[in-house]
Amino acid sequence: MASTAPPSTNGDTSSVADYDLMLKLAPHLDRHMIFPLLEFGTSQLVDEETGDIKDEKKLRDITQAKYSLLKKTNMTDYVANLYCELEGLKEPPSEFADRKQKVFSQLEKYEQETSKITELLQRDDVVNALRSDKVANLEFLKREHEVTVEMVDALYDFGNLQYSCGNYGDASDLLYRFRVLSTDDQKVASATWGRLACEILSMNWESAMEEVQKVRESIDSRLANNALAQLEHRTSLIHWALFPLFNFPAAREPLLELLFNPNFINTIQANCAWILRYLTVAVITGRGRSKNQGIQQKQMKDIVRIVKQESYEYQDPVTRFVHALCIDFDFEEAQNQLVLAEEVLRRDFFLLQSADDFVDSARHLIFESYCKIHARITLKDLSARLGLNKDDAEKWIVNLIRDTRLDAKIDYQEGTVVMNHPPSSVYQQVIERTKGGFFRTQVLSAAVAK
Amino acid sequence: MSRFFRGGDDSSTESSSDEEELYSGSEEEEEEKKDQDVDDSSSDDDEPEAAADSGSDSDGDAKKKGVNRFLADADSDSSSGDDSDNETQAKVKSAKDKRFDELEATVTAIQNGQKINDWGSISNELDKLNRQVIKQIDGGKAPKLYIKCIADLEDFMNETLAKQKVTPKKMNATNARGLNVVKQRIKKNNKDFQAQIDAYRKDSDDFMESDEEEVPAPKVAKVRFQDLTAEQGQDDDEGFATVGKGGRTLLFTPESIFKHLRTIMESRGKKNTDRLEQIKIMEKLYEVAVTPYQKIRVLMTLVSARFDLGSGAATSMPLEHWKAAEKELATLLRVLETEKDHIVIENAEEWDDDEKPPTLEDGAKYIRIPGSVVSYIERLDDELTRSLQSIDPHTSEYIERLTDEGSLYNIIFQGLLYYEMLRKDASLEVPQESLNRIIQRRLDHVYFKPSQVVKILEENCWKEVPSNVDSEITPRDPSHDAGHLLNVLCNYLFENSDGIIRARAMLCQIYFLALHDQYYQARDMMLTSHLQENIANFDITTQILYNRTLVQVGLCAFRKGLVYDAQNTLQEICGSGRQKELLAQGVMIQRFNQVSPEQERLEKQRQLPFHMHINLELLECVYLTCSMLLEIPLLAQTGSSPDVKKRVISKTYRRMLEYHERQIFTGPPENTRDHVMQASKALAAGEWKKATTFVHSIKIWELMPNTEDIKTMLAKQIQEEGLRTYLFTYAPFYDTLSIASLSTMFELDTRKVSAVVSKMISHEELAAALDQVTETVIFRKGVELSRLQSLALTLSDKASALIETNERTLEHRTQGSANAFNRKDGRGGNRGGGQRGGRGGARTGGNPQRQAGGTQFTGGALGAAVRG
Repeated sequence: MASTAPPSTNGDTSSVADYDLMLKLAPHLDRHMIFPLLEFGTSQLVDEETGDIKDEKKLRDITQAKYSLLKKTNMTDYVANLYCELEGLKEPPSEFADRKQKVFSQLEKYEQETSKITELLQRDDVVNALRSDKVANLEFLKREHEVTVEMVDALYDFGNLQYSCGNYGDASDLLYRFRVLSTDDQKVASATWGRLACEILSMNWESAMEEVQKVRESIDSRLANNALAQLEHRTSLIHWALFPLFNFPAAREPLLELLFNPNFINTIQANCAWILRYLTVAVITGRGRSKNQGIQQKQMKDIVRIVKQESYEYQDPVTRFVHALCIDFDFEEAQNQLVLAEEVLRRDFFLLQSADDFVDSARHLIFESYCKIHARITLKDLSARLGLNKDDAEKWIVNLIRDTRLDAKIDYQEGTVVMNHPPSSVYQQVIERTKGGFFRTQVLSAAVAK
Repeated sequence: MSRFFRGGDDSSTESSSDEEELYSGSEEEEEEKKDQDVDDSSSDDDEPEAAADSGSDSDGDAKKKGVNRFLADADSDSSSGDDSDNETQAKVKSAKDKRFDELEATVTAIQNGQKINDWGSISNELDKLNRQVIKQIDGGKAPKLYIKCIADLEDFMNETLAKQKVTPKKMNATNARGLNVVKQRIKKNNKDFQAQIDAYRKDSDDFMESDEEEVPAPKVAKVRFQDLTAEQGQDDDEGFATVGKGGRTLLFTPESIFKHLRTIMESRGKKNTDRLEQIKIMEKLYEVAVTPYQKIRVLMTLVSARFDLGSGAATSMPLEHWKAAEKELATLLRVLETEKDHIVIENAEEWDDDEKPPTLEDGAKYIRIPGSVVSYIERLDDELTRSLQSIDPHTSEYIERLTDEGSLYNIIFQGLLYYEMLRKDASLEVPQESLNRIIQRRLDHVYFKPSQVVKILEENCWKEVPSNVDSEITPRDPSHDAGHLLNVLCNYLFENSDGIIRARAMLCQIYFLALHDQYYQARDMMLTSHLQENIANFDITTQILYNRTLVQVGLCAFRKGLVYDAQNTLQEICGSGRQKELLAQGVMIQRFNQVSPEQERLEKQRQLPFHMHINLELLECVYLTCSMLLEIPLLAQTGSSPDVKKRVISKTYRRMLEYHERQIFTGPPENTRDHVMQASKALAAGEWKKATTFVHSIKIWELMPNTEDIKTMLAKQIQEEGLRTYLFTYAPFYDTLSIASLSTMFELDTRKVSAVVSKMISHEELAAALDQVTETVIFRKGVELSRLQSLALTLSDKASALIETNERTLEHRTQGSANAFNRKDGRGGNRGGGQRGGRGGARTGGNPQRQAGGTQFTGGALGAAVRG
């Protein structure tokens, strides 16, 4: 797959283009998943207003990339079109027709092979007779309906072929059925991956999330004694999970939890530090939305820690923003990086939609730590920091003071915001520290009693 | 005394007349030699001479009976007839006579014992006699008196035994035991001297008489010897060769080679073997060897014999023999290189037939010769190390010796090529391990050297091999890039080895990376290796390597300006106060517990040669400087509140600081430590400039590459830490402080100052806020805690710590099955994935304790080992 990764740098501002992650992401994605990314690359090239294409050569590169990407799939029609586009032909050469024919015949063949089992699985009496024990199920089907292992395997191959043709929905169904019946661990694991891909590509986020969990479990259990394979599989899972993470709001929390799981954090740090960008954006945009503030803060802390640790290995405007703000407390630098980061986000397939959210949340973040440190801030300076004009900034701050419980006042005459930092009371501290003690002791004694 | 002989032998050209007899008797002689030298180590200094003269001496004849060496020599000298040197003779005689008298006394005692049939005392005396006679044996010739005595004794014993059988009267217990002992001794002993005893038995008078004419002998010897001593050092062999040329060479025919070798091989390892003599013989043998098979066999035996010279416990093999062995190994490898059908492998069968050499059988590709090239190379390497250990590193001798490393490296490299060649043929079943061992050796010679040096080594060793030869594992690389070489070697070992070799390869690579300023890679490898968890299970040399690597990583972090990491990494080694032992760079005097000589010897053996040392003073300097940069702000911070005072980063540093402060008068700084201490004092007082001057005036920074950069880095760090210290110390006395004035005071730009202040405020180290309008720091008042309040805080801390400990204990007991205690996911990360956890800013966090767990290098391996 790595060979198919195209040089799809898409920006004309080279500084931003440097942060394009396409090349790094591609090796860990399935070829079908790279396709949307390439499409996105194409759309970036199209000037929004005029519809003109800005860079002919680039476009051609991308089309070439698409072609080599899909060449090996069975989406023959599309591949043929691409080929025509590339070569400037009107009619696709006959080989494509041949292939198409072949694919069709293969489809038919599998269709026949699996028809019986498919039919069986649609019958209520059969389905009701199935139990949770796979071996027993297979025995039952063998006995009652003459189903063979080969037939079950045919389901798998058929699913594979369907996927390759781009019929994700059908493929997903087939693989589901296969998984119900098969006892071959290896193939079941592959089927789970396949199904995850299908669900992602057909944008069934909810079932995709289920599959993510399943894949995760299978990685943890099946590969427990192969650290390298675990690492690779986790890396892929992390990359695939980006699709639901930024497209399905409900997936955000469980996925973040997954990614902050020590195993996955280690994987990110060891193998794919660029994921930090996505992780950071997800955490920062997630601020305030989440019900659980504690987790939020913890994740932010983790992000800061990891960004710092990995700063020698991976840096982009997003991580540099975090670094400047939370580690160096250099607000000017943070502001500069924020501007750059916005640009980067708008050019990223996954992050495009989160760009505005991110900028907004980032401003909050800046303001929060700014207020924490300062006692008095001039409005003018603050508006510059936030990248807003003075009036907007004023409105923004007023809203902020109203929404959050920030203890601050605007002194309009002097043009300053005055912060009131109540010193943290010692009593409060003592109470904080001893708060959980009772509960924890109880749990402890319960555990001892067990 | 034995020198004497040496002289004698040189002059005794006439002895060649007896040459023919020599080899008939030679078998016997070898036998004789074996057991005479019971006390092996004592023979160290007279051995060479003894060896040298044994040739001429033994050539004499088996019938000749030497009362002592002095006499034994006589016959060879008498003919040279130089009687003029009387006083030397006298001098020599006295020493000899003393021993001879002793011998005589013992013999008399035995005879007395015989008279009264006291076997207990006979056995004692016999032991004594045997001991004495060892010193007087020369070239397998025992003093005649001795021979007479033991011969008589044997007869007497046999008589007694015979009597025993017939008489019903039992001997008493001691006597019986004594008799038994004597019986065994004699049986064993007399075999060695059988020839002489036979001679004695045959004609006892004649045997004893032969002394008479020998008496005047030694004078010449002395003279000759004195002339020769000077030469001997340089061309020992030459002196010998002259003798050889006369008669011996005739005897060394290609046909007889194997016979000689067999004799030599058989005597190997036995006591009182005259190794030097054997070596001489083999050198001759090599000259006459024609076929490759002969050459290889001779060379292999020769090299082994040379190594045997150095087998004494503490001594290394003599320089010239090392060099010779090195040359011979090189020749061996060359022969093997040219004669492709001869191979030396470990699992070959021994060839027993001396008469005809093995020939290439039909279908067989090789003539297999048993032996292990890798063992030879390892031994050669070890010997060099040993000799380097014993030479004073500050002499030119050391440097000279060190130059041999280059040729050794070449040998290792050629050995590697040879093994690669062997490996190509799968049918040979060359164990992977041999290849690993040789690669490990190569790595050992490379990893601690700067890349330029490695480059030179590489260039030289490639020059040695013909240009059509290439290595599979380390292909010819015109740039001789050391980093690349290291990488290739280490990767090979990672893939093909396990256990200690693998761990060592890993450590070597980390060491090399750290040495070349690739801190992050080195650190990541260190953490991913998980060695810190199981290093205690490895052998001590590996632990030493681990410690060295750890220190090197720490130094590298320092060069990068990562003070915190550097201090953290060095802590375990430097904080222990036992750097010397942990790095095997010197033996510490044990104050409390006594070390057994055995331990001491082992420890001495482990010492690294000087050129591999890591400069301990530099190490200390770096460690103290880092500690200063961390400790001084901390001290300032905790200075006011007594309850947090317990937090200590470096105990060693604190102790030194306290000691320094106790001094009533402090003079100008003299050593590194003084400099750092005075700098600390200045820094604590907010005088960062003074502190910088102190630190900069430490001489040892010169040893670091890029001294200037390091100094600038340090100055910057001191500035920042100075600012922090200043704020901590003087905050209580100010209401507001202007950023601008701080900025001028510490010569930092305002942005940096406000960043530092912001950081401190944000981490709640400083009760203050920034006022953007006036550009000042406003200190909040009334945040100081009362005693009760701070105690309450401490109590609550302790309470939660208690709960934590309880939970951990339970978790430990239940082996983590109680998931209810998954308190901290972050922690779990450290435990689970291990490799990345916990690095970075623990300093900023509120948790003052260093976390246990796999987060840091738990260095200081070897601790237990050193404590013994």
